[in-house]
Amino acid sequence: MSDEFQQRRSALAKMVTAGVGLITAGLAGLVGLVAVPRATAAMRRWRRAASLFDLPANQPMAAVIAERGADGWYETRREQVVFIDREGEGYRAFSATCTHLGCRVRWDSTKTQYLCPCHGGAYDREGRVVAGPPPRGLDRLPVRVNKETSAIEVEL
Amino acid sequence: MSRLGASLLAWLDNRTGFRAIKKHLLDEPLPAGTGWWFTLGSVLLFGLGVQVVTGIGLALFYAPTPDHAWDSVRYITTQVRGGHVLRGLHHWGASVVVVAAVLHLIRVVFFGSYRKPRELNWIVGMLLLQVILAFGLTGYLLPWDQRAYWATVVTINISQLTPGLGEAIASVLRGGAEIGALTLTRWYAAHVLVLPQILLVLVIVHLYLMRRHGISGPVRPRTGASQPFFPYQAARDLTMAIAVGILLAVLAWKGAPALEPPADPTSSDYIPRPDWYFLGLFQLLKYFPGRWEVVGALVVPGIVITWLMLLPWLDRGKTRDWRGRRVVLGLFMAGLAGVVTLTVLGARDKPAQPAGSWTIFEIAGASLATSSERCVKCHAPDRVASPIVAGRVGQSQTWIAAHVNDPEVIAPGIRPAPPSNERETAAIIAALGRLRSGAPPAVDDATRRIYVTLTQHCFECHEIDGIGGSEGPSLSRIGAEQDAGLIQRRIVDPVDVQFDAEMPAFGDKLSIEEIRAVAVWLAGRK
Repeated sequence: MSDEFQQRRSALAKMVTAGVGLITAGLAGLVGLVAVPRATAAMRRWRRAASLFDLPANQPMAAVIAERGADGWYETRREQVVFIDREGEGYRAFSATCTHLGCRVRWDSTKTQYLCPCHGGAYDREGRVVAGPPPRGLDRLPVRVNKETSAIEVEL
Repeated sequence: MSRLGASLLAWLDNRTGFRAIKKHLLDEPLPAGTGWWFTLGSVLLFGLGVQVVTGIGLALFYAPTPDHAWDSVRYITTQVRGGHVLRGLHHWGASVVVVAAVLHLIRVVFFGSYRKPRELNWIVGMLLLQVILAFGLTGYLLPWDQRAYWATVVTINISQLTPGLGEAIASVLRGGAEIGALTLTRWYAAHVLVLPQILLVLVIVHLYLMRRHGISGPVRPRTGASQPFFPYQAARDLTMAIAVGILLAVLAWKGAPALEPPADPTSSDYIPRPDWYFLGLFQLLKYFPGRWEVVGALVVPGIVITWLMLLPWLDRGKTRDWRGRRVVLGLFMAGLAGVVTLTVLGARDKPAQPAGSWTIFEIAGASLATSSERCVKCHAPDRVASPIVAGRVGQSQTWIAAHVNDPEVIAPGIRPAPPSNERETAAIIAALGRLRSGAPPAVDDATRRIYVTLTQHCFECHEIDGIGGSEGPSLSRIGAEQDAGLIQRRIVDPVDVQFDAEMPAFGDKLSIEEIRAVAVWLAGRK
C-alpha cells in the first residue's frame, strides 16, 4: 500500500515538475520569438548621391543620401553618408562608415586622409588603412553617372 | 491611543509574524572589529535606491521614441519642476553606483572575503557588477542625443565581434535592420523592466547569502563580543549614506551635463566619447588593429572577468592576511593600475573639434538667421513657427538644409521662397547646424556686419581661414601685403589699382562705410 502510494507520488511529482518546466519553456520561447527580430534583407539599388557640378575639384565630397523609410512602426527620413571622389576620368564612392566599429569618418583636407573620430582609424584618399585599428579599407560602393540628370549615383 | 496602537501592532504581529522578521534582520551578529570598511555595500545599496526612485520620476515624463525621446528629456530638464535636479541625481547616481560597486569589490578582494564558504556570493556580486554596467549602457541610449547614438553604434558593433553568434546577438540588440525606433524601445524595456528585476533578485540573493554565512569581518579575527547590526553598524552605514547623499546632491544641484544635439547619423562635427566608466574599454579598443580587434573588445575584458570570478578558487591559502597572498593581490593591483591608466589615457584623448569655435561664416549665418527678413518672418514669438533658440534646434543637418533652401517644403503656401544668395543660404544652414548644440560667441555689431558683408560678397571668390572660394587670391594674410587704404580702393574699383583686374567693382553695391570697415578689418589680417 505504502509502496504503491510512493510510486504514485513520485510519478505525480515528475508530472508536476515537467508541467512547470513546460510552462516556463513556453513563456521563454514566446519571449525569444518576439525578441529575435525577423531577418530583413537590405534592398540595394541605385540612388542619387550628388550632382556632377557639386563635386569640388581637388577633394572628396560628403554626400547625404536621404529617403523616407519605415523605422519600426513609423516612417522617417533615413540618411546615409557616402564620399564621392574623382578617380582618373571617372569617380569612386566610399561608405563613410568606419570599418572598425562604425563611427562616421570625415575628410581632413590638411592631412588629406579620412579620419575616424572614435578610435583613431585613418584611411588615405584611396580608402586604404594608414593608421589605427580598422580591419580593412573603407567600403567601396558601385558608382555611375546618370547622363540625363548629370547626377552621380551610388548603389547602396 | 497608545493602548489601541499596541494592540493593533500585536494583532498585526499575530497575523504576519513581522516582529520575528524585524528581529532577524536587525539583530544580525557582526564579528568584533567590523568597521567602516564594511559600509561600502550599504553605500551601493543606497545608490541603487536613489536610481530606482529617480528613475521612476524620469519615467513619468520620458517617451521612448526617436522622434520624442530627446524632446521629452529636454522637457524634463527645462520644464518639469525640479526636473533638472532629478535628471542630475539619476546621472550622477549612476557614477556613484559604479564607484561604490568597484570600491566594494576592492574591499572584498583585499579582505579575502570571497574565501570559502562565500564563493557563491562573490559570483553573485560579480554578476551584479555586470548588471550595473548594463544599466549604464542601456541608460545612456535613452536621451537619443549624439552620445547616445554613437555609443550604441559602437556597443552593437562590438557585440557583433562575438565568434559565431555575433550577427544574432547584434540583431537582437538592434531590434531592426538599423539602429532606430525598435532599438530604443527594447533598450528602454531592458533598462526599466528586465534589468531592475534581475537586479532585485540578485540583490536579495546577495543579502541572503551574506546573512547565511555572516560578515567575514577583519582579516585577523579579533577577540571580543559580537555586536548586533542595529544600531551600531547601521549608524556607520547611515553616516556614509548621508555623506555620499550630500555629495550627490551637490553634483545634482548643478544638474546633469547638458543634453547633446539630437542623434544624427550624418553629422560631421561630433566626436563620440563614452561615459567615464567605459573610457578604459574605449582606450583598449585602439590597441588591437585589424583582425585582432576582437581581442581588445571581448577577449581581454572576458579574461579579466573570468579571472575575477575564479578568484575564490585561485586564492585558497590558510590565512586571509595580505602577506600570505602577495601574488593574487599583486596581480589584482596591476590590473587595477591598468584600468586606471587606460581610463586616464582615454579621458585625455580629446581630438581637436574640427570646428571647435564658430567661424566667420557661421557667425554671419547666425546673424542672418536671427535678424534678417528670411527666418524671423515666421520664426518669432506670436508667429506661425517657433523662434530659433540655441540648443533647441532639433532637426538634422540635411533637414535644415532642405528647409532653408525651400521653406515651402515644410510649410506649403505660408511664404514664398526668399530671394536666394547661395552663400547666405549656406551660411544660415551652417549656423543652424551649430545652433543645435549651443549659442554663437558674443561678437560686437560692427564685427558682425563685417562678417555678413564678407559672407555676402567676398567668400564667393576669396578664402579666409579655409572658408570661401578659390577663384581669387586668399585673404587670410592680406594685411601683410596691403594696407587698409589700398584694400579699400581695390574693393571700390579694382581696375583703379590694377588695370587687368578681373574682380568686379563693389563701389555701387556697398556703402563707403561698409567698404572701409571691411578694408580695415582685412588689413589687420597679417
